[in-house]
Amino acid sequence: MDLSADDLAGGITKVVLRGRFDTTGAVVVELPFNKIATEKQKIIVDLSAVNFLASYGIRVLLVGAKVAKSKGGSLVIVCPDNNVAKVLKTAGMDALIPVYQTEAAAMAALIA
Amino acid sequence: MIAMSNAGASRLVLGKDVAELERLAGWIEGFARLGMSPDVSFAVQLCLEEAVANIIMYGAAKNDALVIAVELERNCGTLVARIEDNGRQFDPTRAPPPAPAASLEEAKIGDLGIHLMRSFANGMDYERREGRNRLTLRFVEPATPSSE
Repeated sequence: MDLSADDLAGGITKVVLRGRFDTTGAVVVELPFNKIATEKQKIIVDLSAVNFLASYGIRVLLVGAKVAKSKGGSLVIVCPDNNVAKVLKTAGMDALIPVYQTEAAAMAALIA
Repeated sequence: MIAMSNAGASRLVLGKDVAELERLAGWIEGFARLGMSPDVSFAVQLCLEEAVANIIMYGAAKNDALVIAVELERNCGTLVARIEDNGRQFDPTRAPPPAPAASLEEAKIGDLGIHLMRSFANGMDYERREGRNRLTLRFVEPATPSSE
């Protein structure tokens, strides 16, 4: 699993995760993901290239969203694959972390 | 160690190490390539990852050697997964469901694995036999498997 981050317009940081977001993958991205959540205010997490999500991956997303919120920021998710979206919904994460189908919609929500 | 006991069944033995989860994932992917539908493959991978991760992280009493055996078997349109371990007695079917969080601030970290297993498997049974935990998960294949 890997992680890349880019700064977009409007002070938004886009984090792209790729691969299996299982226990093994989550351990790899946990530290860099937490660092971004700590340092940045408006974060879009692109899950379109994540083909698997398990509870440890959810934990990393949830901790990141909590950290961002605790300092007045916001973290949102875009483009989860069908089964990944189903895991997020089953875990109740869709009620806690906003999920958008397009990057444009996510950016609009973060800038508003 | 992988052993094919017959055309539709396979068995993997794992030890007490988080790195074993990667081996488990590769093994399930190999089994899935033999004809599992993508959705069932996802569900099996999710449930076995959660079940085995729980056993590895919480199942060992003291420093006892933990051995986890996982079996997958096709049985008349149903995929049956059996996980047997010699760790501490633990019945995941009796774990209470997580309480929904009212807000991000109040959301509890963790406790989602068993809830995901319950939701993605079509059936889950537990028994304690001869000092071992034996968890059986069932996954129903769709009537018409989707083709790639």
